[in-house]
Amino acid sequence: MPAEPPATGGYMVAAYVVAGTILLGYFLSLLRRAKRILKQRER
Amino acid sequence: MADGLRLALVIAAKDVRAELRSKTALLSATVFAALVLVIFNFARDPTALSATDLAPSALWVTFAFAAMVAMNRSFTVEREHGALDGLLLAPVPRGALFTGKMLANLAFVAAVEAVALPLFILFFNVDLSRALPGIIGTAALATVGFVAVGTIFGAMAVRTRFAELMLPVLLLPFMVPPLIGAVQVTSRLLAARPLSEMMGWLRLLAVYDVVFVTLAALAFSFVVEE
Amino acid sequence: MTGLSGAAPVVTLTRARAVVRRGIIISSIALIGIGVAAILALGFTPIEARQGLAQKIFYLHVPSAWSALLAFSLVGIAGGLYLWLEDPRLDLFAAASAEVGVAFAAVMLTTGPIWAKPIWGTWWTWDARLTLTLFLFFLFVGYLALRAAVHDRHERARFSAVVGIMGLLLVPFIHLSVYLFRTLHPQPIVLKPSAPSLPWEMLRTLLVSTVMFTLLYIGYVTIRYGIGLAIDAREQSDAG
Repeated sequence: MPAEPPATGGYMVAAYVVAGTILLGYFLSLLRRAKRILKQRER
Repeated sequence: MADGLRLALVIAAKDVRAELRSKTALLSATVFAALVLVIFNFARDPTALSATDLAPSALWVTFAFAAMVAMNRSFTVEREHGALDGLLLAPVPRGALFTGKMLANLAFVAAVEAVALPLFILFFNVDLSRALPGIIGTAALATVGFVAVGTIFGAMAVRTRFAELMLPVLLLPFMVPPLIGAVQVTSRLLAARPLSEMMGWLRLLAVYDVVFVTLAALAFSFVVEE
Repeated sequence: MTGLSGAAPVVTLTRARAVVRRGIIISSIALIGIGVAAILALGFTPIEARQGLAQKIFYLHVPSAWSALLAFSLVGIAGGLYLWLEDPRLDLFAAASAEVGVAFAAVMLTTGPIWAKPIWGTWWTWDARLTLTLFLFFLFVGYLALRAAVHDRHERARFSAVVGIMGLLLVPFIHLSVYLFRTLHPQPIVLKPSAPSLPWEMLRTLLVSTVMFTLLYIGYVTIRYGIGLAIDAREQSDAG
């Protein structure tokens, strides 16, 4: 009878959440900077 | 070619003479090296870590940071006197300028290492009678590598606002391969291991030197051009 | 072609806007793709017996390391080309790639320890990949710090290019040092999930994830490049 794999699900969740936060956070920061610099039309 | 070399020596001599007159870089770096060695000794638990285990790392961390202090000061002093701009106006080939600056830096760092080494022998109680030539050779090999990179990065850092911080931030990653190699060879030298055990590391040091001295020399003209 | 006095060159800002828009589209597709890859990883890929669910971090960790290395290599290459061709667009691209590279390196350096802890018991292992990415991170940060500290655009471009090339050439030496260090200091045998004997479902998920991470790199760099174009356009109109 093969042994059960170790219960490491918590780490998996943590890693996916952290990775997602960094990638989405960077995306949002790019969007915000782009909006700020492109927003002003001719003065 | 010989003219370029002579020019480089003239530039180096000028820098060295200027430093000998004011002595600020050499003094700060030497005091710094001594302090680091003292701290290393007190920061270790003598029952857990023997002096000989710690010795190679202590020596090389000392050399590395003292070298950085020395190279930093030499460029800052020059900026304060506006000397670099004067040199650039003269028709000095950039290769000779780099070589001259590098030789001057090598002289500074070698001087600091020459003072730090006896202190190291004293504080750490190491017997260098057989290992000394090897250690000096290794020191030369490793130092050439990071002084080359330090010379070109120093030339860049001095044009930025936080020069004292910029040089270490840029330089430290580049010091790691020569440092690792030097520590590995030094610890084997102290343990009187056969040369074959060090060949891999020595080759690494040598190749690093060739690559980065060449690269730094070639890239220097892009850094100082107007 | 400048617009009214005091206005940013309209043509350039419009172009910047178009580039940013394209980047947003590419990034959005890539983010959805990564979502798909995550679903694949979590729901449609077998669980590794010795590591359990934590092994699935692999599908984020490896592609992000690859993207970081790609980003850094292109910074160095673009720098070299800039020194040769003096095209300012190359410098603009390098700046964008460096910033995006930091993001991917951060993902790699956080997922790495989170993966290492349950598997090897320690948060940090000085293995070749983690160590190399740590160095890439430091090189990126130094590169960006230098860019922030130099104000003249031509000087900034030249200095960055030099640091970029030298950094790129440092990478093989770091790799070699770590390799030599580890062969002489044998570490405990570690699991090698990226061994060739990877079941095809895992390989498939890894490939999908890698492709999507690469696409995300392209998308982010495009947006960041567009921002750079816009900054340039504004600086030029402010100066003129």
